[in-house]
Amino acid sequence: MASEDEINLLVIVVDVNPIWWGQQAQRDPQFTLSKCMDAVMVMGNAHMAMARTNKLAVIASHCQGSHFLYPSKSWSGEDGGGNDVSSSGDGKYELLSAANNLIVEEIRNIMSKIEVTGNSTDTLLAGSLAKALCYIHRLTKELEVGQEIKSRILVVKAAEDCALQYMNFMNVIFAAQKQNILIDACVLDSDSGLLQQACDITGGLYMKIPQKVALAQYLLWVFLPDSEQRSQLVLPPPAHVDYRAACFCHRNLIEIGYVCSVCLSIFCNFSPICTTCE
Amino acid sequence: MTSLSEEVLLVVKKVRQKKQDGTLYLMAERIAWGPEGKDRFTVSHLYADIRCQKISPDGKAKVQLQLVLHTGESTTFHFANESTALKDREAAKELLQQLLPKFKKKANKELEEKNRMLQEDPVLFQLYKDLVVSQVISAEEFWANRLGGINNTDPSPYNNKQEVGISGAFLADIRPQTDGCNGLRYNLTADIIESIFRTYPAVKQKYSENVPHNLTEKEFWTRFFQSHYFHRDRINTGTQDIFSECAKQDEKGLKTLVTQGVKNPLVDLQSLEDKTLDEGYGICTTQPSTSNANKSVKDSSNSAIIKRFNHHSAMVLAAGSRRGELASDQASETSSTDGNSRDSDFFQPPVKKVKLQEAIEFEDLQRENRPKTVPLNLKKSDRYAHGPVPLQSQQYTTSQDIINSVNYIRHEMASYKPSLTQVRAQTLCAQQRV
Repeated sequence: MASEDEINLLVIVVDVNPIWWGQQAQRDPQFTLSKCMDAVMVMGNAHMAMARTNKLAVIASHCQGSHFLYPSKSWSGEDGGGNDVSSSGDGKYELLSAANNLIVEEIRNIMSKIEVTGNSTDTLLAGSLAKALCYIHRLTKELEVGQEIKSRILVVKAAEDCALQYMNFMNVIFAAQKQNILIDACVLDSDSGLLQQACDITGGLYMKIPQKVALAQYLLWVFLPDSEQRSQLVLPPPAHVDYRAACFCHRNLIEIGYVCSVCLSIFCNFSPICTTCE
Repeated sequence: MTSLSEEVLLVVKKVRQKKQDGTLYLMAERIAWGPEGKDRFTVSHLYADIRCQKISPDGKAKVQLQLVLHTGESTTFHFANESTALKDREAAKELLQQLLPKFKKKANKELEEKNRMLQEDPVLFQLYKDLVVSQVISAEEFWANRLGGINNTDPSPYNNKQEVGISGAFLADIRPQTDGCNGLRYNLTADIIESIFRTYPAVKQKYSENVPHNLTEKEFWTRFFQSHYFHRDRINTGTQDIFSECAKQDEKGLKTLVTQGVKNPLVDLQSLEDKTLDEGYGICTTQPSTSNANKSVKDSSNSAIIKRFNHHSAMVLAAGSRRGELASDQASETSSTDGNSRDSDFFQPPVKKVKLQEAIEFEDLQRENRPKTVPLNLKKSDRYAHGPVPLQSQQYTTSQDIINSVNYIRHEMASYKPSLTQVRAQTLCAQQRV
């Protein structure tokens, strides 16, 4: 068993790209953003219920930025508030009901305020991951002497990869690796090469869900146990990651190439002057 | 013997080595021994390889000489000539004693240098331990990379040990011991004598004047300790003391020192003055003028002690900063702190300026002197945005689609109520596949 003082922090980054979810709702009314948020909340409650020292954070990531659903700035965090937010009628663990209510309220706020322009339709996932890392870092600094914290990030991804975020993504991945933070990925629709790399490098689990409707089941089965317990379970095997780089001139995947020693750009043919930096 | 190209310094016949008779030859750079009747040398050692020589005690029957090499092995020579064995050995030993130090220095110096480097730099020492002791690379390779510059550069930066200053208590350390019958015994070591000379150049002058012409060293020091100069009674009784001049000189020096003052404009010595309210808490204005004589005696003995201590401290500090400069009459910047030397007024402005500048300037606020680097110019920096990732087909959504989707989702979320108990669809229970 884990020691009494060890804190397990789970940060869930949910992709709430309104365009994708709107289209998804039209395609398949059985699985909508509401169902997804329900599943995420169930997972969050389960995590917090596992141990008293477990902590949770939920970040919503959309085209204009990312936003903390829980813990939120407006929440004072103290019991006995007495208002509607924190009291629940069915005798549930206060913390869980407070968290759920907060998440619902925040996601409603975001969705009502959201505005999309034509050229920014991609989810800003790299930024959300960076925020998650900062949050983890802050909590690590706020620990008391003798306390330890183990953190991991779970990404629930809906829309496609954005190619322009490559550099930021890679930086985030390596930062997480240095801090020993696992990145797990639960992909709903299309495979994402970046997240595959992220999971491979940090030691997390990547899974593309065959049936979106069963999201809650997959979350609880695969992504709820933390890294120590995963070795005891039989989980889906890791996918083979294609690490081949693409050359800068043709964007073809190559296995052997030439690298400029100044700017580190990759080419498939030798040329005395690098086209990127000269 | 066959013709030797080396110069032979000494030949000793009838020297046995390992129970064999032979001849010992001492050459310019090595020592060699060849058995009787043979042409070659069986034993030959360079002087550089020899660490030390040992001789058998004089009383023993066997007259032997042993050479210990740096590697640890030793070779023993037995001088078997009945009549001249001892003489031979002494001759050989003397010659070796003269020659060995010359060669020793070269070899030792390198070793010393290496040892010193290892001791001073713990990182290097660790590296040495990891690489050489565990036999990853050999010691020669290790030192080949490090010692490249050592043999060429001049060794003075490495011998820069700190100079040892003079202890302020050196005079007090010469504790006199009673000699039994009304005498005092002072133990003077060379160190103490040197300290006295460095601190009081006047005494050194007197010493060089009088010894050895007029007085022996012993007499000089006896006089010194007997003199009032040493005891500083300051009662100038006018005795014929060679040291009374010194006393006058010292007083003069002290006066000049006081007038010179401190060069640092930021140090205000006047503020340290005693501001006493005198008796009566400042109310009593009548000065006890009747006891003038007493006061002056008391005052003068107090001030004499204080003067003596001040002078002693000033001299000790001045000697420390004079730094091995021989007692020359050249005025240097440092000797301006010693009141006995020439006035060095024109050194004042630079020191003052330096002190003022030190107080004003802050190193952190200066411009940094970093080495200039070449900036990186990227002509096509957008390549970095996507990185080495192959082209992927983009999905295009029409703006109408976008608007529709956003509206739909807004609508949905506005009426969102979580139903956590309905999360699992029942139809899926039976279909779980791994």
